[in-house]
Amino acid sequence: MLGYSMPLYIYVIEDLLVSLVLLSSFVMLSSRWISFYIHAYGFQSFLIFVLTLILGIEAQSVDLYLVAFLTLFVRTIFVPYILLKMIKKFNIKEEVKLTLKIPFSIISGVVLTVIAYFLIYRLISPFSSKIVVNVASIALSLIFVGFFMIISRFTTITHILGLLVIENGIFLLSVAVVPTLPIIVELVVLFDILVTVTAMLILSMFMKMRTGSFSTSMLNRLVG
Amino acid sequence: MNMKLFIFIVLISPLLASLSSFILKNKRFAEYISLLASSLDIIGAFIILYFVLNFKPIFLFNNAIAIDKFSAYLILLVSIVYFLSSIYSISYMRLAINNEKMTENEFFRYELFFNLFAFTMLIAPMINNMAVYLIDIELTTITSSFLVISEVTEKSIEAAWKYILVVSSGISLALLGTILFYLSGNIPGSANIVSSLDWTVLGLNAVYLNEGIVRIAFVLIVIGLGTKVGLSPMHTWVPDAYSEAPSPVSAMLSASLENVALYGIIRYFGIAGKSLGFGYPEVILITIGIFSIFIGVMGIIYQNSSKRLFAYSSIEHMGIITLGFGLGGIFGTFGALLQMLGHTLTKSTMYFGAGNFLHKFKTKNIKKIKGVFHIMPKTAFLFSIGSVALIGVPPSVIFISEFLIILQSLKDGYYLVAVILIGFLLAAFISLLTKSGSMVFGKADENFKAERGDFSPFSYVPMLLPLAASLILGFYIPSGLHNLLIGIVHIINFKIK
Repeated sequence: MLGYSMPLYIYVIEDLLVSLVLLSSFVMLSSRWISFYIHAYGFQSFLIFVLTLILGIEAQSVDLYLVAFLTLFVRTIFVPYILLKMIKKFNIKEEVKLTLKIPFSIISGVVLTVIAYFLIYRLISPFSSKIVVNVASIALSLIFVGFFMIISRFTTITHILGLLVIENGIFLLSVAVVPTLPIIVELVVLFDILVTVTAMLILSMFMKMRTGSFSTSMLNRLVG
Repeated sequence: MNMKLFIFIVLISPLLASLSSFILKNKRFAEYISLLASSLDIIGAFIILYFVLNFKPIFLFNNAIAIDKFSAYLILLVSIVYFLSSIYSISYMRLAINNEKMTENEFFRYELFFNLFAFTMLIAPMINNMAVYLIDIELTTITSSFLVISEVTEKSIEAAWKYILVVSSGISLALLGTILFYLSGNIPGSANIVSSLDWTVLGLNAVYLNEGIVRIAFVLIVIGLGTKVGLSPMHTWVPDAYSEAPSPVSAMLSASLENVALYGIIRYFGIAGKSLGFGYPEVILITIGIFSIFIGVMGIIYQNSSKRLFAYSSIEHMGIITLGFGLGGIFGTFGALLQMLGHTLTKSTMYFGAGNFLHKFKTKNIKKIKGVFHIMPKTAFLFSIGSVALIGVPPSVIFISEFLIILQSLKDGYYLVAVILIGFLLAAFISLLTKSGSMVFGKADENFKAERGDFSPFSYVPMLLPLAASLILGFYIPSGLHNLLIGIVHIINFKIK
């Protein structure tokens, strides 16, 4: 379990890593360029991989090592690779159309993070160490920021990335709070990410062929 | 009796049908192989149900597969719709290829995903681990979103995109809830560790779960899976996807997928009820149920599209079922379970009818569909009886289930709920009957060009079968069904003796 008999610098490293994770989600909130987004997502996934590895060493759990390396392959390498390839193939005009101005997005992100800290503190602080509370709060804030990204940006690629950030948050929450979660759960979640991303990419290709763009703001025919 | 064999047949036959029809690329073969697979499934579902009802629950593969009465009932409901839809899709797809310029590629993609969709829905109620169940629900989303774009148009792409985006975000919330459920059994320093996500284990050890976390986790589960069920306010994708999908798929989405997703909520409802007492989860289900009924009825009143009409009617029905489970008690739960069956039977009839109208009139606009009675008499006859059965006029099974739910609300002293429910049901009754009446009996357009007469028997036999069943069940509920539903009531709500 977390919080026992580890040298102090491990906690410092964990704190640092998790704050970088938070930073990367704010980078996504403040960027206008899709390729920037995808790189930020890859960087975030890489940080989560390192964090999972450290937590695995701490909990002495082989399952976590396995999950960490799968995260490396799927989240850090494969998904960003196919997204970037997709962008290159379809020669997307890279700028994202934002409904909210960037300063407002960042302020909303801050508010969401504070709410996440508050909720997690109320929920798990009676039985968890401070470091777990910290990691879990940032994981929850990733989930919130992911939802915010979906509702505030109107292209298919950013929708997919929003979902992926939500999945990252759930994954981080699960490894931080319940490192004993059965490995089958993590495996099927990864499988699910692969399938969902593939399906959504195929759908957005259909959309590109029909409407000539990846923008979802013209999807307004079905109402009532 | 070795039940492994039958479960294997139930699961493998849609899988084989989907792959073989995609590989062989023969139209006739593809049509009849899915019909054969679904007939095998319905037989297998009855055998599994018979075994579970008369002997004991089935546990296989180190408890990875657990089938009790509730699961077996759901498997039967899914396979009924799969069977009817695969009969109907013979007629629907032939017409689509001949009249709507559907290409061969689109047809074989349809057959591939149609059977795969059935497979993912059939396996969902068998799974014991709730996280794996959720991922399976996510897979149903993906297979069915490809069915929504069977005919690739801008509208269908829009519907599929909304569907996959909204439901995937919903499922991720439900996954968060599942992880919190696991946390509630694994509090560090607690004496009783429940380290499993199997509903069998969680149900047995529910008293050891941490109550504060179970409260939040249950709400997340209801929101997440409620997105898939189409409960308001998470229903936004429902009318789009149901109206743009081909009619056999709309029937499967509406009549069986909703039940499969609701199954998950009810499993968690039982666990949360054992952990917290049933008061808290019941209030949540009652609130969300009433709100869904409200949204559904409002959608029915302001609707101009025939298929969206039944999509809103599905939202209303799911609201009634959720309300029934929420009210609890023997009448409420029994009524909700019976309503699941009634919804399955009548809603598939209505979607098949709407599909026939669509092929004849080339429009979904209710105001342009007039005088069906003179143009397609058999479909019109079944459609009008179906719409009467759908809104719960006495000889239909839906009347009994809705009556039981109202009875339960009066018995528990929720008089306001009863009044609201009766009011909404009346509103739905009036508006649905006016709309279907104007479609069926209105004065036909004199300039109507298309050939008169019904389509092939494949287009109206799948309407006739469930309709007849729902009317017969309205008069007489067989003792086997009665025992089954009573058994499920005891599984869900343990406090009833």
